[in-house]
Amino acid sequence: MSENGVTLALTRVSKKFGEFVAVDELSLEVRAGRIFGLIGPNGAGKTTTIRMIVNILAPDSGRIELFGQQMSERLQDRIGYLPEERGLYKKMRVGDQLRYFGELKGLTRREAETRLDRWLERLKLSEWKTHKTDELSKGMQQKIQFIATVMHEPDLLILDEVFSGLDPVNAELMKDVLLELKAERRTIIFSTHMMSQAEQLCDDICLINRSRKVLEGSLREVKSGFGRRAVALRAEGGDGALRDARLVAGVKPYGDYLEVVLAEGADAQELLRRLVEGGARVTRFEQVEPSLHDIFLQQVGEGA
Amino acid sequence: MKKLLVIIRREYLGRLRTKGFVISSLLGPIIMIGFAVVPGLLISMKTGGATKVAIVDLTGKMYEGVRESILRSRADEGLDGERGEQPSSVAATPGREAQLRRQASALLGSHYEVEQAATGGRSLEEIKSELNARVRKGELSVYLVLPEKILAEGRAEYYGRNLSDPVTTLQLRRSLNRAVFEQRLREANIDQVRVRELSKEIELETTKVSEGGLERDSGGGFGLAMFVGLFIYMAILMYGQVILSSVVEEKTTRVSEVLFSSVKPFHLMLGKLLGVSLVAITQYLIWAVAFAAFTLYGVGMLAASGMNVPLPRLPLSFAVYALVFFVVGFLMYATIYMLVAAMVTTEKEAGQMAMPVIFLSVISIYLAFPVIRSPNSSFAFWVSIAPFFSPITMLVRILTETPPFWQIALSLGVGLASIVFFVWVAARIYRVGMLMYGKSASLPEVVRWFRQT
Repeated sequence: MSENGVTLALTRVSKKFGEFVAVDELSLEVRAGRIFGLIGPNGAGKTTTIRMIVNILAPDSGRIELFGQQMSERLQDRIGYLPEERGLYKKMRVGDQLRYFGELKGLTRREAETRLDRWLERLKLSEWKTHKTDELSKGMQQKIQFIATVMHEPDLLILDEVFSGLDPVNAELMKDVLLELKAERRTIIFSTHMMSQAEQLCDDICLINRSRKVLEGSLREVKSGFGRRAVALRAEGGDGALRDARLVAGVKPYGDYLEVVLAEGADAQELLRRLVEGGARVTRFEQVEPSLHDIFLQQVGEGA
Repeated sequence: MKKLLVIIRREYLGRLRTKGFVISSLLGPIIMIGFAVVPGLLISMKTGGATKVAIVDLTGKMYEGVRESILRSRADEGLDGERGEQPSSVAATPGREAQLRRQASALLGSHYEVEQAATGGRSLEEIKSELNARVRKGELSVYLVLPEKILAEGRAEYYGRNLSDPVTTLQLRRSLNRAVFEQRLREANIDQVRVRELSKEIELETTKVSEGGLERDSGGGFGLAMFVGLFIYMAILMYGQVILSSVVEEKTTRVSEVLFSSVKPFHLMLGKLLGVSLVAITQYLIWAVAFAAFTLYGVGMLAASGMNVPLPRLPLSFAVYALVFFVVGFLMYATIYMLVAAMVTTEKEAGQMAMPVIFLSVISIYLAFPVIRSPNSSFAFWVSIAPFFSPITMLVRILTETPPFWQIALSLGVGLASIVFFVWVAARIYRVGMLMYGKSASLPEVVRWFRQT
């Protein structure tokens, strides 16, 4: 791990396929021991970016530095990659398969054997070790694939839609494992369409749209830096304050409360004061941050 | 390098343990033996006891000679080529050969019972109708009518229920021929022994002049080079498909993306090629051992029963060259399958792929002919260096006029280099092709991919 704590740095990386620009001058930094969310709509360039990081594709221009070094084959062994499209040999036994993937990542046969036993145990799959892969359910295969990704204890994990195909119990199990890995100071790049998952897990976010970076930063920064501020309000009366265009940009009813979007430069305290002065009975007044979902929709929607 | 070995081991051991491999390893020799022996046995096997032949001798003097000749006839004549046809075999060939043939005939169990049809002053028509009745009842298989002027006109009549049995017809014709020939000689007062002496064929004793001095050469060498060619071809037909599906499987299951994040595509492809090839070689070795054991056992058996079967003798160096060129040739042709596999997404699309392989191997067999005629021409040189042709043509050259060692080494070097080159090309196409989802490549696309990294 490099001293400044940066696991991965992309500097103005571009990739074209013929005329099509898949990734355009993308720069980003992934810090060690953090979960980094790479989010964006379909076709934004996420997969191409990931493939360049894992050295399947070479960028046309720009630099990719991993652990402070120029990307190379040797560094591939320190990465674990779970592609969005899963790939396992159907007719191979689970144990043989995992041993093979482990060895391809530079483990010795014996190391691979002990680790795969430990992981199968951890993910409750031990009794399937001698079964052929195509006898397993989709969710089980998903877990096998995950073991193949992490068994060589990579410093950088790249997980593309890791939760897809998992039931809630297994999703929870997977989340625990991810947080454990994070506690071991491993860096995780987490690519997903599911904003709620990203919101729960990620420390940092990078939103890509149309091959360019749209947003980057810690989840907190992104949210607070985001222009749109809102208040969840439940009150009786005091309608006058809500109609003041200097204070309120818009009101959306949500079940038993209202989401009040504050006008530019308006202060939430001012709104509360006006409401109380106006004789309203306030039972809920809560400043809410925009959800990642909202940010995503707004950013991606704007571009469309 | 270590990863390459890991890939080779998976491809090799994974396939060795399959039921298919075990079965074909065991069944192969059995089928081989079956193909070699059974048709010969079947055709010369006469079921249902002896063939009963009646002879209507209108000359009054031929019966004894014909009977002798028929009883002496050899079971293998029907299968054997010209020898029996020639007048030189007036009587049974003397010596060892005759002994061999008698044994063979005893083994194959073809024999005749001959009787003379009583004429008893009846007309030919009456005799024939009686014999016809007997044939219909199955008491007789065949009857022959020897007309009075058989010696002069050389015509006889053959009546039988089954005219499409080629062996019996042929044997009877030859036997009759022989008897008539002998009778003619006798009547012309010519000594048979003398005729045999005079019509003895010459034998060409071939000796090869090479750097190592004079060597006896049975001339079977050329056939052996063809044999190696055939073996390469067979191995490719069997295992090319295996290589193909092994590559395509990783595409359809999308394992390739995981693999590419761990190893270089070149290592992956090379590992596959070597792993599958090792399986093919293992299978061939098993078969070769089985075949050798069978041959030695068979020869031993025959030797024990007094037959001496000459084994073709070849220098050991040739065996080594044959093995080396077999391996190189197999790998070379296998790269074609690899290239194709890199381009397609499903095995179905690769259906036509045996074509270039057949094409190239047929061409190289044709090329072998001019090479035999002038093994040291510059044509022969280039052809024996060129990839895809070298395995067969260089072997032919080694057998005919062994070229200087540097040429053999060059041929092997070019072969190996082209294997590496084609694997590299295939790996490149494979990597780009994998990233394009779900469609096979057209040729211009492949060229374009190839330029992309």
